Amino acid sequence: MEINTLENDTGKVVRVLLVDDEDSFRNAIARRLERRDMVVSQAPDGTSCLEYLGANEADVVVLDMKMPGMSGIETFKAINKYHPGLKVIFLTGNAAVTEGVEGVKAGAFDYLSKPVEIDHLAGKIRQAWELKRLEAARERDKIFRRRLEKRMMHTQRLASLGTMSTGIAHEINNPLAIIKESAGFMRMVLEGPGQIPEKDMLFKGLDKIEKSVDRARRITHQLLGYVQKHSQGLSPVDIRQLSEDTVVLIKQKTQAKKVSVQWDTEPEHQMLMYTDPFQVRQVLINLLENAVDAVQTGGQIRLALYRKDQSVCLEVRDNGSGITPENMKKIFDPFFTTKPNVSENESGTGLGLFVVHKIITGLSGSIRVESEPGHGATFTICLPEWHSD
Amino acid sequence: MVKIPVKILIVDDEKDFVEMFSLRLTRQGETVSAAYSGQEALDLLEKTQIDVVILDIRMPGMDGIETLKKIKAAYPLVEVILLTGHGSTETAVEGMKEGAFDYLMKPADFEDISAKLANAWKRKDEQEERIRKAEARLLLRRSGDI
Repeated sequence: MEINTLENDTGKVVRVLLVDDEDSFRNAIARRLERRDMVVSQAPDGTSCLEYLGANEADVVVLDMKMPGMSGIETFKAINKYHPGLKVIFLTGNAAVTEGVEGVKAGAFDYLSKPVEIDHLAGKIRQAWELKRLEAARERDKIFRRRLEKRMMHTQRLASLGTMSTGIAHEINNPLAIIKESAGFMRMVLEGPGQIPEKDMLFKGLDKIEKSVDRARRITHQLLGYVQKHSQGLSPVDIRQLSEDTVVLIKQKTQAKKVSVQWDTEPEHQMLMYTDPFQVRQVLINLLENAVDAVQTGGQIRLALYRKDQSVCLEVRDNGSGITPENMKKIFDPFFTTKPNVSENESGTGLGLFVVHKIITGLSGSIRVESEPGHGATFTICLPEWHSD
Repeated sequence: MVKIPVKILIVDDEKDFVEMFSLRLTRQGETVSAAYSGQEALDLLEKTQIDVVILDIRMPGMDGIETLKKIKAAYPLVEVILLTGHGSTETAVEGMKEGAFDYLMKPADFEDISAKLANAWKRKDEQEERIRKAEARLLLRRSGDI
């Protein structure tokens, strides 16, 4: 039964429900439709028709208008209400054509008058089925487009936030420079030979000012960091080599926490992407540092490299704490961080992944995250493959 | 220890920055002049002898790069260090191509500034030394001719 449903879902077989109170007529029609490769179920009245639909899937309902108990029209209304998308073909008595027209007006696919010509009925059923499939495809398309639009909106929002935050960063750097110089000057004066009371206290205050300026500067510089820094344009880049170089770059951090970084499977000797090496290195640094932060001491980071649809993809997988579903929605937002105040100079700026997202989309690539809380996270970046032609 | 003061010109439209920066450099023993625009800097260079110019890239009116070009054209021996508050590294690189000695991102560490200042001054000093020697050789040769 399961398999049958699956097959039907792929849309190869028409599932018909035949509803008529005349047993012999119904059986005969069912047999003949089955001979035309349809899957036919039967119901003797409106109530059992609805019961059947409540428990089973169908594509087209062939519905007799005149039945004892629930009438055809009543049954139709219930079908429409509870199973929208299902196509209904009415069968009317010879003399009751107007009834059929009423049915179509109410939203049925079509009507046929008895006695039915079997090929005619089969043809109508197939037409109804085609329409249902088309509508289902349209619906899927709509959902897909809506999802895409939502994602686009997110990307656009990130882009405008990016523009805004770089603007702010620019403007903040100037006053920061003034604060820094003033503090530095005060330190010079304090260190001088003059007699100044409570020197220690003043030094303490200055210390805080200087540390805070450095912290603010880390934020502004990181915000500005993705603005085409060192941009040398695109070139063939061996991502394997670049990854290995980057792993060496963050060695201090990994060794301090005894984290191992390894290839999952030994990648091909050389894998070329068409991209900007400096920006991709920034991306790798951010992803690797995040992974190191996510794992426990002695944790593992696995890297994988593979080709996929004209792209080269790099996977960074850690066995750390993972990302909760509610955080997942926000991880690419600027200033979102899960590492608050670890220690003064290690707290997250909330810009790492924001910058990663920015760079990757800027390089016509894509980034994907998968995570199960408690079982680590996997970040996959894909960038266009380089072809030597 | 006798320190030979480096004659520095700071060019930035942020007056507070120029003021604090000058105070700090002066206290460290340098001789500091200030200008708040590119034009002012050029005027000052005409009257005053300067070793190193610290030049903000983004200024209203004549911008840093434009000022740099003019300084380098008129005073090729004067070294220029670019300051950027705008993370615009490309502009800084462009400036380096135009002959700037180096660049710094605002807010910069004073140690970095001091180090770069010292290097810039050293380069200028060596260059001047070479010129003096070349001139001396020239003089010697001339006198030998007689």
